[in-house]
Amino acid sequence: MLERLYVDNYKCLVDFELHLDEVSLLVGSNGAGKSAVLGVISALRKLVRGEGRVTDEGSFPTRTLTRWRDQDAQTFEMRVVLGNDVFQYRLELEHDRRRDRARIIEETLMVADSPLFAFETGLVRLYRDDHSEGPTFPSDWSESALARVVPQQDNKRLCRFVDFVSGLVVCAPHPPGFRAESKAEDSTLANDAANYADWFRHVVQEYPDLRQPFIEQLKKTLEGGFNSMRLERVAKDTRELVAAFDASEDGWRYELRFDELSDGQRALVVLYGLILLAPGQDGALFLDEPDNYLALREIQPWLAVLEDVVGDTLRQALICSHNSEIVDYLGANCGIVLTRKDSGITTVSKLDRGSTEGLKLSEMIARGWE
Amino acid sequence: MTKRVQMVLVCEDKQHHVFARRFLRSMGWDVDRLRIEAAPPGRGAADQFVRSRLSKELESLPPDAVLLVMLDGDAKGPAERLRELNEAGRDAQMSKHRDRTFVFVPTWNIETWLAYLNGMTVDETNRHYPRLARQRECQEHVDELVEMCRHGGLRQPAPPSLVAACEEYHRLTSAH
Repeated sequence: MLERLYVDNYKCLVDFELHLDEVSLLVGSNGAGKSAVLGVISALRKLVRGEGRVTDEGSFPTRTLTRWRDQDAQTFEMRVVLGNDVFQYRLELEHDRRRDRARIIEETLMVADSPLFAFETGLVRLYRDDHSEGPTFPSDWSESALARVVPQQDNKRLCRFVDFVSGLVVCAPHPPGFRAESKAEDSTLANDAANYADWFRHVVQEYPDLRQPFIEQLKKTLEGGFNSMRLERVAKDTRELVAAFDASEDGWRYELRFDELSDGQRALVVLYGLILLAPGQDGALFLDEPDNYLALREIQPWLAVLEDVVGDTLRQALICSHNSEIVDYLGANCGIVLTRKDSGITTVSKLDRGSTEGLKLSEMIARGWE
Repeated sequence: MTKRVQMVLVCEDKQHHVFARRFLRSMGWDVDRLRIEAAPPGRGAADQFVRSRLSKELESLPPDAVLLVMLDGDAKGPAERLRELNEAGRDAQMSKHRDRTFVFVPTWNIETWLAYLNGMTVDETNRHYPRLARQRECQEHVDELVEMCRHGGLRQPAPPSLVAACEEYHRLTSAH
C-alpha cells in the first residue's frame, strides 16, 4: 500500500505531503491539485517500469516545474508498505530549463532503513535482500535503472516494490474513447481506459476465475437483461468485446459491441472491471472522477463493492471526486481536502468531521465550509 | 436464491452499515438494492439524525420497499429507542408502515455485538468494548452471526439487544 507521497516543485505541489489509507477520497476545488497527485503517481509508475526518460510526456517534463519558483530540483518520495516490509523510495531530478532537459540526481530505495538500490553520480549500486552489497553498474542519468534490475533469488524485496509500483492503476475513465476491438492483450490499462478490451482480454486469460463474479455483478448492475460479455474473434489475432443481452420476456437475444453500449454502461463495465478484475494484478487503484457518466443510483452500490474488495483482494483505492454521493459515502472516514492557498501551493487537511452538526459533508463543501 | 427487495438503511455510522450490508449479503439479499443513509459526521448528532430521517423516509417509502433502521441503544436500550422512534415517526404514521419498518438497536452499541460475536460474554451496560481498527474487519463477526442464524440460534448468554434484532430480522424474512 502506498502510505505516503511527498512531492516538491511539481506544478502546484510544493513541499507537499499526503498520507493515504486503504481507501482515500481526495476532494477540493478545481485546480486544487487532485489530478496533479495522480499525475505524479502515474509518472513514477512509468519511470519505474522503464517506459521512457524523465522528461518524456507523462513523466516529468521541465514544464511540470512549479512556475513561480526558480528552483530547478524536483523531489518525489513514496513510502510503500508490502507485508512486513516498509519501503522508502526517493527520486530527485535536476532540470535544465533552457535546454528543456532533466537528469536524475539521486534515486534510492530503502527497506527497514537499509538500502536496496542507490543511483548517484551515474552509478547504480544494488544491495541484496539481506542488505549486503551487490553489483554496481553505470546507468543513464535520464532513466530509472530500477526497471533494468534482473530478478534474482537475492533481490526479491526490490522486485516486489518494482512490481507493486508497476502494477498501480491510474485511471480517469473516458467512455467515448473506449474501443471494442482488441488486437492483442495488454496488461496495462491506459490512463483513460481506452484499451479496456485489450486489458480485459489479458485479465480473463491470466485470471479466468475472476470472470464469472464480474459477469454476475454486471447482471445485477446493467439494466436491459445483460447476460454475458465475451471476446468474439473477428480476425486471426483480433477480438471484439461484445455484451450479450437476453430480453427474456419476449425471448429476444441480441448482442452489442462494447463501443455500442451507452457511455454510462461502458463506464460501469470499466469501473466494476477495475475493482473485480484488477485483484488478479494485486493492484492499487487511483481513480480520477470515476463517477462521470454514472447515474446517481449507480454510484453507492459501486462504492460498496469497492469497499468490499479493498483490503481483501485489492490493496488500495484512492478516488478524486466532486460527487456528493461519493463525498457523503466515503468522506467521513477517509476524506482529504486539497486547498490552494493564496501563495499558490496546495495544502492538505482532513475533511472536517466535527465542526458542523447535521449537514452532509457534500453540503458543507458546497458552501465552502469544509 | 437472491432476495431482490428495495431496502433503505438509515443508521448512525459506517460500522453500522458495513456490518448490516455484509450480514444481508451473506444471508442472500441483493445488497445492490440497499440504499444507505448514514448520519453525517458531527458531535453526538447521529441518533438525532436517525430519528429525524425516519419521518422523511416513511413519507417517501415506495410500496414495495422496506426501511431498516439501526441506532445504538446507549444507556436507553431497544425498548426506549423504539418508543423514541415511534414518537419521531408519529407524524409520518410509523405505525401504519410498521410491517415495512425494521429496527435494530445494538446496545450499548454495535461494539457490544462484535465483542459477543468474538466469543466474549458481554454486558450491555458496558460502553467500552473495543472498536475495530477498520470497519471491514467485522466480516468474521458477520460470518459468526450467519453461522449462528443458520445453525440453531445465538450462543447463550446472548445480549438481549441482539436477541431482539434477530426477532426483527425474522420478521423481515417472513415478510419477504
